[in-house]
Amino acid sequence: MPPLLRVEGLKIYFHMPRGVVRAVDEVSIYLNKGEIIGIAGESGSGKSTLALGIMRLIMPPGLIEGGNIYFEDTEVLHLPEKVFNSEYRWKRIAMVFQGSMNGFTPVYKIRDQIKEVLEVHGYTGDPDQRVNELMKMVNLDPSIADRYPHELSGGQKQRAFIAMALALNPQVLIADEPTTALDVITQTHIINLLKQLRKELGISIIFITHDVALMSMIADRIYIMYAGRIVEHADTADIVRKPKHPYTQLLMEAVPDLSKEYIKGIPGFMPDLARLPPGCRFQSRCPFVMDICKREEPRLKRVESSEVACWLYG
Amino acid sequence: MIETKDLKVYFTKGGFLSKKSVVKAVDNVSIKIRRGEILGLVGESGSGKTTLGRTTIGLQAPTEGQVIYYDSKGVPHLITPKTITKDIRRKLQMVYQDPYSSIDPYMKVYDALRQPLYYAGIRERTEIEEMIHKAFDDVGLPYELLNNYVFQLSGGQRQRLAIARALLMNPDYLVADEPVTMLDASLKGLIVEDLKKINQSRGLSILFITHELPVAKVIAHRIAIMYLGKIVEIGPTKRVVENPLHPYTQALLQAYPRLEPEARDKFFKVNVRELELVWPKSGCRFHPRCPFVMKRCETEEPPLKEVEPGHYVACWLY
Repeated sequence: MPPLLRVEGLKIYFHMPRGVVRAVDEVSIYLNKGEIIGIAGESGSGKSTLALGIMRLIMPPGLIEGGNIYFEDTEVLHLPEKVFNSEYRWKRIAMVFQGSMNGFTPVYKIRDQIKEVLEVHGYTGDPDQRVNELMKMVNLDPSIADRYPHELSGGQKQRAFIAMALALNPQVLIADEPTTALDVITQTHIINLLKQLRKELGISIIFITHDVALMSMIADRIYIMYAGRIVEHADTADIVRKPKHPYTQLLMEAVPDLSKEYIKGIPGFMPDLARLPPGCRFQSRCPFVMDICKREEPRLKRVESSEVACWLYG
Repeated sequence: MIETKDLKVYFTKGGFLSKKSVVKAVDNVSIKIRRGEILGLVGESGSGKTTLGRTTIGLQAPTEGQVIYYDSKGVPHLITPKTITKDIRRKLQMVYQDPYSSIDPYMKVYDALRQPLYYAGIRERTEIEEMIHKAFDDVGLPYELLNNYVFQLSGGQRQRLAIARALLMNPDYLVADEPVTMLDASLKGLIVEDLKKINQSRGLSILFITHELPVAKVIAHRIAIMYLGKIVEIGPTKRVVENPLHPYTQALLQAYPRLEPEARDKFFKVNVRELELVWPKSGCRFHPRCPFVMKRCETEEPPLKEVEPGHYVACWLY
């Protein structure tokens, strides 16, 4: 069966006065039905831009410069905006953002805001009933929908927003740092909710976070992004137990984890995406840097069961 | 070095259109921070940890209770915004969470450091440079950066600059308020190492405020867990992590994500409900969420009790 969603060679560049920032550079990912994939990377690695790109929500000076996105077998990146908006956005692919709990308008009740989404997208059933259904889906009492956003706690708001994202029964949910603004106990409840939605609705999820430990507890496969590129892709167990790319290896030691006695840092910083050096983008921080790394950029290639972009693997 | 005695900081909110209510940000907190010690203060947002930190350096007036600072000669000083003197203020410094908003981005790095020295009455060029270089050495920043603008620095460099600025006055006590929260994983470890080194080389006491228990675990000598304005557990780091006593601490330890791919098909085990906007009227503040709640918890507030040497908990289970 072909993947539900396939992104191929996606390029998203930002045209800034100081040069072209290659925020997402030839990125390819795929998502199977019922799967949860993770995209991990530090701030500025391009993970959120990739998510916005899939939703076709890139605003100037950002521009999608190339690549294809297939939903089932239809190419959707080059569909007319009107068609994409009425057929795909929010209907088949929905998104929850990091601060999305603050995305509700404070002056309307939750119920009215979710009903508005239903109306705009031409929902034909009984909207009130649908709102109640959605609230139950995210384990909230339907009466909470009749409150104003400020009457809800952070976790409840995030649940309500997930309910809104699910309003039109999407097949793909993109969750961009959905728990970052929440406390840890609430975070675990939201993660449990996402797992439950996958189980009950068969929804596929793209989970984006900088918290690799959290990701390891939910994702089936993980893509590691660095400076606009995917540098490693493997099953979660392989990423955590057998990381291959030097960046992934260092990242696993840097992640705060209660079993650690110390946490290591990664010296140096990410290159300026507008002034990329020739060769590998990780070269300035890599402990194993070689001559070839400064000349040629490594491509993703299969090493055992992983895909890695690093010259160490030939 | 720093001691709080039955410290209370209350804020009143509302009163214009809504009913007036009192927020007990810090309620009856008595802690001691020893010379050269790093105390990790862990709690979720809204638990009052920042307010407690600010009160210990005289930026916030206590509603009741006292903050006492013992200087290098052991002389006690009462710390309140009104009574604090310039000399003492210099000895108590703070580093903030967001390095992007705590320093003016359009200042030259050198000026950002010179300004506090200027106000402290240090105006001789060689003396200024010597102090700046010393602070830069401590955080491992190269001197070349002094001529850059602050906006040209990366996030990690900015946080180091903020730490260097706090160190300029050679303080005795530093409140580090979530100093690594905004930083990427690759930088967290580096800044934590910096702070540990500074703590050792300067004998500086640090109140390390964080909501990340694993970070507190690797830096702090002792950990205090704060919940809705109260210290619910305090003890040596190893004991708190290995033998958590309070149900809230246990839940935090359980909830914190670990690198465990084996767990991904399972649901998280959390026996504590998520935070709701409820403030219990009486009894233990954690009782509405506590899995072990008893009759007594609803009416009586538990005091901090020493359960093993140096390890205190405020819970009726003990």
